[in-house]
Amino acid sequence: MLWLALYFPQLLIEVFARGRQQAGALAIVEPSGGREQVSRCNGAAQAYGIRPGLALPAALALCAGLAVQRRDRAREQRALDELALWAYQFSPRISFEPSLLLLEIGASLRLFGGLPRLLDTVQRELGQIGYSVQHALAMTATAAGLLARNRPGCQVSTRGALREALAALPLACLTRDPVTRDLVRHIGLDSIADVLALPRPELARRSGPQLPQLLDRLLGEAPDPRPEWHPPQHFSQTIELLGEIGQTTALLFPARRLMVALCGFLRGLGGGAQRLQWTLLHRDHPETRFGQGLLEPSRDPDHMLEVLRERVERLQLPAPVVAIGLRVDDWLAFEECNRDLLGGSGPDGPSGRDHALLERLANRLGGQCVRGLRCHADHRPEHAWRLCAPGEPGAADTAPVQQGRAQPLWLLPQPRPLQVHQSVPQYGGPLRLEDLPERIEAGWWDGFDVTRDYFVAHSRAGERLWVFHDRRGDGWYLHGVFM
Amino acid sequence: MQVVDLDELKRSGVLWRGRRGQPDPGRLLPSGWEVLDELLGGGWPRAALVEVLSEAHQGLPLLLPLLVRLSTRPRWLVWVAPPYVPYAPALAARGVQVERLLLVHEVSGGQSLWAAEQALKSGACGVVLAWPRQLQTAQLRRLQLAAEEGDCVAILFRPVRAAQQASPAALRLRVCPVPSGLEVEVLKRRGGWGGDSCIVPVGTEPMPDAVPAAAGPATPCILRPGS
Repeated sequence: MLWLALYFPQLLIEVFARGRQQAGALAIVEPSGGREQVSRCNGAAQAYGIRPGLALPAALALCAGLAVQRRDRAREQRALDELALWAYQFSPRISFEPSLLLLEIGASLRLFGGLPRLLDTVQRELGQIGYSVQHALAMTATAAGLLARNRPGCQVSTRGALREALAALPLACLTRDPVTRDLVRHIGLDSIADVLALPRPELARRSGPQLPQLLDRLLGEAPDPRPEWHPPQHFSQTIELLGEIGQTTALLFPARRLMVALCGFLRGLGGGAQRLQWTLLHRDHPETRFGQGLLEPSRDPDHMLEVLRERVERLQLPAPVVAIGLRVDDWLAFEECNRDLLGGSGPDGPSGRDHALLERLANRLGGQCVRGLRCHADHRPEHAWRLCAPGEPGAADTAPVQQGRAQPLWLLPQPRPLQVHQSVPQYGGPLRLEDLPERIEAGWWDGFDVTRDYFVAHSRAGERLWVFHDRRGDGWYLHGVFM
Repeated sequence: MQVVDLDELKRSGVLWRGRRGQPDPGRLLPSGWEVLDELLGGGWPRAALVEVLSEAHQGLPLLLPLLVRLSTRPRWLVWVAPPYVPYAPALAARGVQVERLLLVHEVSGGQSLWAAEQALKSGACGVVLAWPRQLQTAQLRRLQLAAEEGDCVAILFRPVRAAQQASPAALRLRVCPVPSGLEVEVLKRRGGWGGDSCIVPVGTEPMPDAVPAAAGPATPCILRPGS
């Protein structure tokens, strides 16, 4: 077993600040001894001399523009839950500690191309989702967590190395149980090495059973059972924006964070999303909702972002946005391996470019404006074609039925009535009709019954036109243009 | 006085006609009409902007052989804001594989330009046909650049009065229906002279036999209406 511990040292701050590309000075405060006290602050706040432990009025005196948020433990837990959703792509065994995620990755290392590549992916994607991270690897979950907090980057895979890595850590890191800590302090034990040097039964007699049990779990000498975590079936996450965003393009930054998290979740499930639902929350206005459609299930955040960019550019915001949420209710099976193996159908292949173009057009213009055409088996010209999804092949029975006769390249959307003078139809002067009209009689079965004689006609301007004589209503109509 | 027939001189090759040598055939797409190929020095310019000016959106039949050939490839044939409905049975009957058609319609003027530019740039399209309402010279230049970027032919169908406007198009034609087909006059041609004209026998019955749809994508299908 190999546990990867991911510790989020800035989680308190980042749950508030990650929606913004550049957050101003921000301090997280907690009540302490009846007054508000800064418990964590970001770099911009530190530049003003604000430090953890400072009283809130003092901090505000140092920086009048300081954004202050009360620590929100529920939100931190929610953030960890959301991160677990993303991390599910790396391991099905996930466990939580405060500000910390534990993943059992021993079984999946090879799948991800070895440890360095895995860590690389983890750190890059966490950066994109908006969290800074410290990691450590060890054979037990407890040890990995301990090392991630106190000795970031530490990777141990043997018992000896584990003992060594833990030895120098102060005992205070191991447990916050005051009884244990007082007890060991009174005997003069400072570091974990000191405790490990004592015979375990002696220690148990002096400190109670808790500390030895903890040590056993730490070193993998006792089982370390952890509750199993199951991912939900839906993805629904929200980023609050620490202030308001009035420009739609500024929404792309938090949107991408959500997309990276979503794509991790989708990889974990082996799926892709085709329909993304976005919600924009406003302070004094009902929320704005809009959907983002993809032509194919996808789990590529860059691709999703490109499509969203087109969608967002034509979005009218009724009010500034304070939070952005992404929801995906259903996901579809996704065959990434097949695509890669076949080559050429990746994002740069011809069909990838096809789809990118269609999505871009459909998202900006609306799907009803970007269509394909196909033939339909019907003798009536207005029923002999159909709009369809782009690229949809015509079925075998939809082959054109009118073969071997003059058909115009252009059809008017509606037949246009022509003036008739001395029983000759007029179109900028009298039309000269070619001989041999073609009679079309059809449609008695669907209530759109036609009896028409179609002629090729020449106008004075030299145009070749397709006109028909309606034998029922006895009128002349222009229906097509040849050139 | 001895009368010398100009065409005779052209045919015998004793007349220098001021063309800068033969253009690179790789940069040209045969139009499928012999008279037109001769007029254009080999065919439609590839990866460039072509303007077809006419009184009433005419000129589409000139492109049919090209559409037939391009539709055998996995690339879109994009129609941006066409004036009427492209009649699918007629296109299919002439050999165009209509499922490669991509129709962008019911859009504003600005949107149609944007769509044309995106389609040209995407590299996913073989040809982009557009019927723009109004165009600035700067917009024409954008389309020309997009066509070069995406290696795609851009055909703009415009009214005759657009001839007054300067244009970066590689080829500018004026077409006019005549009883025997479409008269095509070159107003401007990159690497050649304007002023020549010919009559392309489009629409003379019987229609050229359609290329069968199953004619394999590798086979270039060029219609020879004269033959």
